[in-house]
Amino acid sequence: MTETSERPAPASEDILAIDHLHHRYGNVTALKDVSLKVRRGEFLTLLGSSGSGKSTLLRMIAGLEMPTSVDVFTLEGRPMAQVPANHRNVSTVFQHYGLFPHLSVGQNVEYGLHVRKIPVPERRRQAEEMLRLVKLDGMYDRPIHALSGGQRQRVALARSLVLKPAILLLDEPLGALDEKLRLEMQIELLSLHRTLGMTFIYVTHSQEEALTMSHRILLMSNGEIVQEGRPEDLFDRPSNRFAAEFMGMENIFTAEITAIDGGVISVTVNGAHLRGLWTGKTQPRIGDPIAVAFRSEKVKLARDKGALGGDANRFEATLKSRVYKGKYLDVVAASALGDVRLRLWDDHVVLSDQFKIEWRPTNTVVIPID
Amino acid sequence: MATASGTFTRFISPSGVSPLGVSAVLGAWMLIVILPLLGLVLWSFLKLENFQLVWEPTLQAYRDLLSSGRWEVTVRTLRIAAIVTLIELALAVPFAVWLAKGTRSVPVKVITLAALTIPFFLSLSARTIVWRAVLGLNGPINSALMSLGLIDQPLDWLLFSEFAVIVGLIGPYFPPMVFPLYLAVTLIGDELLAASKDLGASPAFTFRHVILPLALPGLGAGFIFTFIPMIGDPVVPELLGGGQVVVLASSVKSLLQVLNYTVAAALSVFMLAIMVGLAAILTLVLRGRVRRQST
Repeated sequence: MTETSERPAPASEDILAIDHLHHRYGNVTALKDVSLKVRRGEFLTLLGSSGSGKSTLLRMIAGLEMPTSVDVFTLEGRPMAQVPANHRNVSTVFQHYGLFPHLSVGQNVEYGLHVRKIPVPERRRQAEEMLRLVKLDGMYDRPIHALSGGQRQRVALARSLVLKPAILLLDEPLGALDEKLRLEMQIELLSLHRTLGMTFIYVTHSQEEALTMSHRILLMSNGEIVQEGRPEDLFDRPSNRFAAEFMGMENIFTAEITAIDGGVISVTVNGAHLRGLWTGKTQPRIGDPIAVAFRSEKVKLARDKGALGGDANRFEATLKSRVYKGKYLDVVAASALGDVRLRLWDDHVVLSDQFKIEWRPTNTVVIPID
Repeated sequence: MATASGTFTRFISPSGVSPLGVSAVLGAWMLIVILPLLGLVLWSFLKLENFQLVWEPTLQAYRDLLSSGRWEVTVRTLRIAAIVTLIELALAVPFAVWLAKGTRSVPVKVITLAALTIPFFLSLSARTIVWRAVLGLNGPINSALMSLGLIDQPLDWLLFSEFAVIVGLIGPYFPPMVFPLYLAVTLIGDELLAASKDLGASPAFTFRHVILPLALPGLGAGFIFTFIPMIGDPVVPELLGGGQVVVLASSVKSLLQVLNYTVAAALSVFMLAIMVGLAAILTLVLRGRVRRQST
């Protein structure tokens, strides 16, 4: 999170605007009423599981596919809906990099400059400069097959960046890398973004990648944008059941509204009362189908009177199972709500069979079931 | 250690192929292919006297070959093969690219590939003889041209000419050019084509700088499967050349008919040398290019 706050905020000017985009493959709806605005210099992430439409949306922005219908589609103020990829000032880093196996590292990086008929010495100069930027100095003459996965990734980046595109599109670029390399590349992508001040649109299925890297996240499901906001918004305030599940809220219960007091909602789950904050887009009414959700790490053991104050959600609980994970302890406890998951970070926690659990209403979201 | 010796006696080569089987195949290959070829080479260095082989080495057969005007036949054969190969290339490259990358429809692909193999069900002579009716003086082409008023007299060079032979060769040698090309283009990842487009390349640029270099092995194979067998093919030139278009293969046949075995052998060895030479040059050229792009 500190990474995000250090970065310069994006400009207020929109570099990309899409309104009411629909896309169908035959009878299958791939994208449904997608609207988005991207500000210059922003790091925007399209987050979603496979089949959510995030890669299709990226291909639309790249111009590799044309939308079935769209009201507004402008890039740097110019209409782009029917402009093919080779005439768009955006560039894609593909999931499997799409490097040309018959060309050397340098020739790959120069490809776009070659297309633009830049003279050979100038091409080479720019390519070498870009290779330095992605830390591949002196690799100009290497064949692609002699590179590691991480190095290929960098060549693909350099090949796109050398064209100075208005927007750099990244399609799950770290998906093929191992854990350690992925973390390294995340940091490097962020530093590239900071150095270049370029607009990045990043596609991923990893909420962790999205949270660490983005200014803003669009969460997608079934071809629709389900929620949009800053990483903190999505993590702490998922606005519907899908978002809550996708962002890893382990405790989700179907509930009924009993009272509405401004943003604070009182609900019952299996007859048990608790309170939380409404995060849905429209105001709730008593009787709406809703659910209540909270994170396992927000649930604490309540000692005596409880440390979280009088308004906390507090329940008697019985130990069902415990799994030691090294850094923390994962506990499942039966309560009046049903089974509640706890993640306890205290080293010296001693669990008896009966204990009290509590968590704050501000750490509890009440969401519509869609 | 006791078990180790046991393992040694039951040695199986790493490829899992028994050495016995390999030698059997090699032996049969020697017997069926190499031995007759060696016989051919041997005969080409002998001479005939009163239809009897004289067993002393001589270059007489090759001298006869040179003096009998067969250079003209050689040049004609190579010319026809080269022209047809170029036509096949011009037709097959766009066709293969379309079939491999241009159409997403599986039924279209299956039907097209099937249509390409159907001609193999019919004998080459049966397929070729149809052209006689099409290209003949009273054939549909001449009638059409005359009824359009483009010509007054039927064109007599349509049939029994080098033109007819070239037209007749295009069909049978199209599939062997298309198939390896199709396979080579299929192996080019869609992501490469998308990347090229994304980087600003026009379709022509992508074709020239991505598809063509990556399809080169298929191009080489297509060349070997068309140009080289065409040099040894007498059927189409005989049926559509009408004795006007003599090629090396028919030349060998006519030499055999007059029982001139040694010169026929010499001519065969000569043809073989041309084919092996071409294949070798091609292999060397391609190997250099392919090695650079191998993954």
